Amino acid sequence: MEVNRVHGSISTLVLIALLAAAAGCAGPQSKSDANPDPLEPANRAFYGLNEGLDRGLVKPVAEVYEKITPRFARTAVTNFFDNLFYLNVIVNSFLQGKSDQGVSDTVRFVVNSTLGIGGLFDVASGMGLPLHNEDFGQTLATWGFNPGPYVYLPIKGPNSGRDLPDMLTSALLNPLTYISGGILLPIQALRVISLRANLLDETRIRDEAAVDPYSFTREAYLQRREYLIYDGNPPSEGYEDIFDEDPDSESELKIE
Amino acid sequence: MSNPIRIPAPSAVTIGRARYLLIQCIVSLSLLFNFGSALAQEPAPDFEEAAGIVMELHGVLGEIMKNADALGYPGRFQLIDPVVRQRFDTPLIVKVILSRHWNGLNDAEKTEFIQVFHQLSAATYAARFDSFSGQEFVETGREQLKAGRLLIKTELRRPDEPPVKLDYLMHQNEQGEWRIISVIANGVNDLSLKRAEYAAVIKDRGFPGLLEDIRRKIQDMESGKES
Repeated sequence: MEVNRVHGSISTLVLIALLAAAAGCAGPQSKSDANPDPLEPANRAFYGLNEGLDRGLVKPVAEVYEKITPRFARTAVTNFFDNLFYLNVIVNSFLQGKSDQGVSDTVRFVVNSTLGIGGLFDVASGMGLPLHNEDFGQTLATWGFNPGPYVYLPIKGPNSGRDLPDMLTSALLNPLTYISGGILLPIQALRVISLRANLLDETRIRDEAAVDPYSFTREAYLQRREYLIYDGNPPSEGYEDIFDEDPDSESELKIE
Repeated sequence: MSNPIRIPAPSAVTIGRARYLLIQCIVSLSLLFNFGSALAQEPAPDFEEAAGIVMELHGVLGEIMKNADALGYPGRFQLIDPVVRQRFDTPLIVKVILSRHWNGLNDAEKTEFIQVFHQLSAATYAARFDSFSGQEFVETGREQLKAGRLLIKTELRRPDEPPVKLDYLMHQNEQGEWRIISVIANGVNDLSLKRAEYAAVIKDRGFPGLLEDIRRKIQDMESGKES
């Protein structure tokens, strides 16, 4: 029994080490001026592919879904998927040493799965058990791993190297991984449509503002990840870096 | 016969006490020194003036949201344009955004770019703040950063939706007036986005290509078109 437990722990450690190595980001975290996008040519090609698929199919379907589905139903669908994939959040809360949050997340999952009828209703937030956003990429960041190169994947979209192992952990902790049959396809389709519908405002802003949507997406993604790693409270000093990089940044021109 | 003054031989206790007094002296002197240097430091920054500028911007944004339909895009642009012109340090902002490309521009190009970027900023506000559904701006904190900069933290609160955190980085220009130099929305810094984008466009199609793209964006926003 004891041997099995030790063997299990070693397997876990080996798995984590492999995942970290797969991310290409082993080693302590340090600030680096290295190009964050060494894979840009391939990334841009995949970005073009995804954009084509989005404009031609996913976005129009999401827009119709948003138009014909009442807001309460869309909220219920979002709640359902948030709850279904919440095991990944719970595990990563604990892995990051946030034990109080981990306990709160566990109770939230139980409450919403039962009182919230399979997660359709978010009863727990009203009980002081808020929704958290955690994943294995954030966990690796809190453990001190570098982000690694920016990687844009077909279908999946933007990632940092450090975020790639989360594809495995979130799949292992996703109940849908363990079911098969005809029900799976419509559930997955609904998930993609709901996810895309929830991002319509963000992509509208991007389309309105961006002169180079690829760079816009990359920078917004990388900054958003930093924001999530710090749970919405990144150190303010980081805001100034862009001004301090150029020591001669005082303006000489005046507006007439 | 007077009694001779007896000086006790130093013992471990008296040596310990002397050392204690010496440490106390050093601590007291250092405290005094620090207090003196604190008095000599510049006065605390005027948070009120900096926060007032953010409130002014938010006041106008609230106004254009509430009267969005009546004003239309031209009316919204007309109201927000002077605030952007006066309260943002656009020359510094564009210099930081264009980074090393800035020094390659001549004075006429620099002036032209500042003007176009002004228009883009005002147009973006006029296009994005185009409806009202109970949103309100609330100040949530103030922070002093290095180099005399201040951070004014705010939230755009929306009914039935999570708030958007809007942080304003501010500095004093040469005239000592507070100006906004960066807006960070939910942790995403607009300056960093634009720097990456503009560098990519300049690399591809040069500075004229960038100006052309920005002008087209402004036209699209005027006509309410997503590109």
